[in-house]
Amino acid sequence: MSEGTYRRWLALYPSDFRAEYEEEMLAVLMSEGRPGPAQFFDLARAAVAVRLRQVTGSARWRQAAWLTQTFGAILLLALALRHLVTEVAVWDSQELFGPGLSVSDAVALPQLAILARVSGWAVVLIAALRGWRLLGLAGAVLGLGGQAVAPAQLYLETPATVLNAYWQLMAAAVVLAAGVVAVRGGARTRGLVPLLAAAAALVLQAVMLLRWFSWEIYNGLPWVALALAAVAAARQEPAMRPWLLTWAAPVLVTVPLVRTGFDGFIEHNIRHPEATRLLDGFQWTALVLVPLAAFLFMALLTSRFERGRAARAGGAA
Amino acid sequence: MREPTFLILTALAEEPRHGYAVIEDVSAMTGGRVRLRAGTLYAALDRLRSDGLIDVDREEVVQSRLRRYYRLTAAGERSLAAETARLREQAAIADRRLRARRTDLGGAPA
Repeated sequence: MSEGTYRRWLALYPSDFRAEYEEEMLAVLMSEGRPGPAQFFDLARAAVAVRLRQVTGSARWRQAAWLTQTFGAILLLALALRHLVTEVAVWDSQELFGPGLSVSDAVALPQLAILARVSGWAVVLIAALRGWRLLGLAGAVLGLGGQAVAPAQLYLETPATVLNAYWQLMAAAVVLAAGVVAVRGGARTRGLVPLLAAAAALVLQAVMLLRWFSWEIYNGLPWVALALAAVAAARQEPAMRPWLLTWAAPVLVTVPLVRTGFDGFIEHNIRHPEATRLLDGFQWTALVLVPLAAFLFMALLTSRFERGRAARAGGAA
Repeated sequence: MREPTFLILTALAEEPRHGYAVIEDVSAMTGGRVRLRAGTLYAALDRLRSDGLIDVDREEVVQSRLRRYYRLTAAGERSLAAETARLREQAAIADRRLRARRTDLGGAPA
C-alpha cells in the first residue's frame, strides 16, 4: 500500500493531530504491512474518536450545555404553560363545566400530557439551577414524553402533526441530551432577563385568549419572543456563542428541513384527506439524521475554531 | 480502563518505547491475541498524553522518519497500579468461586 493512500486516510484526522502524529503513524503503517479494510476501518474509527474527544474535551461545550438546558427548559416551560392556558381558555369559552365553574377550577382538569410538560420542564429548570443531574434527566424524560403524546395520538389521522410539532420535540431532545453532559450548577447566567421576557411573551399570547384579544399582537408575540431569545444568546460571552449555536443547530435545522423537504408530503395529505400518506422510512431517517448531522458539523467547526484561536493565542504569547 | 489502554501502559512500564515497539510488545504479551493498529494506538497515546499518564521521552530520526519514544509518568504508574490491583481482586474472586464450584460438584467438571 502506498504512502499516498495512507496520507489520504490520515486526512480524516484533525489538522493539529496530524501535525503531531502523522509522520509517526505513517512510519508504523508502512512498517506493519497490514493493509486492508480492517486497517482503514481502524483509521476512520479512531479519527472519529479523536474528533469527538476534541469536542467533548472542551470546557465551554459543557458550560454551553448547561446554558442550553436552563434556557431550553425555560422556553419549553413557557410553551407548555401557553398550551395549558389555551386549553383553559377554550374550556372557559365553551362553558363545558357549567356556569358555576371558574377558570381556576378548569385548571385542575388539563390533559395529563400538558401537565407532564409543565411539571417536567419546571423540574429540569430547578435541577439545572441546583446542579441535580439525575432529577434533571428524569424531568426531561417526563417533558419529552408529554411533548410526544399529542403528535403520537394524532399521527395516524393527521401525519403532518408530527412535522408541525417536530421542532419542539427536537428542542426537548436537545435539552435532555444537554443535561447529560452539562456542568453542574453552571456559572453566573447572562441574558436571563431577555429570556424570561421571551418566555413571558409566549405565555401572554395564551392569556390574551382569556381577557382581551388582538390578532396583530397575538401574531406578533412569537416574533417578539424569538427576538428576545436572540438577544439572550447575544448577551453570552463571544467564545460561548458558537457552542450555544451548536446546541441550537438541531432545532434550527428542523424548520427548513420540514418546510423544504416535506412540502410535497403535506400538500398531498391536504389534497387527499381520504388517502393520507404516513411518513416513510427515508423521511423518518432524514428527520433524525439531519439534525444530528447539523449538531456534529457545528460541533466540529466550533471545536476547530476554538483550537485555532487557542493556538494563535499561544503563538502570540 | 479499556484493555488497549491497560496494555499500552503495561508496555511502557518496562521501558520507553516508540509506537511500533508498543505494538510488538503488546502482541508478545498477549500471545498474539491483541495486535493494536495504528489508528487505535495513536488515538490512545494522544489521550494518555492529554491525561498526563505518559509523556514523550525522546525523539530520533530513523531512515528520514520521526521516531518518538513514550514513557510512563508517575501519574501513569499510579493509574496502572490501581487498575492492576482491581483486576487482581476480580480475578481472585473469580478464582475462589470457580474452586468452590468444583468442590460443590465433587471435583467433576460441569
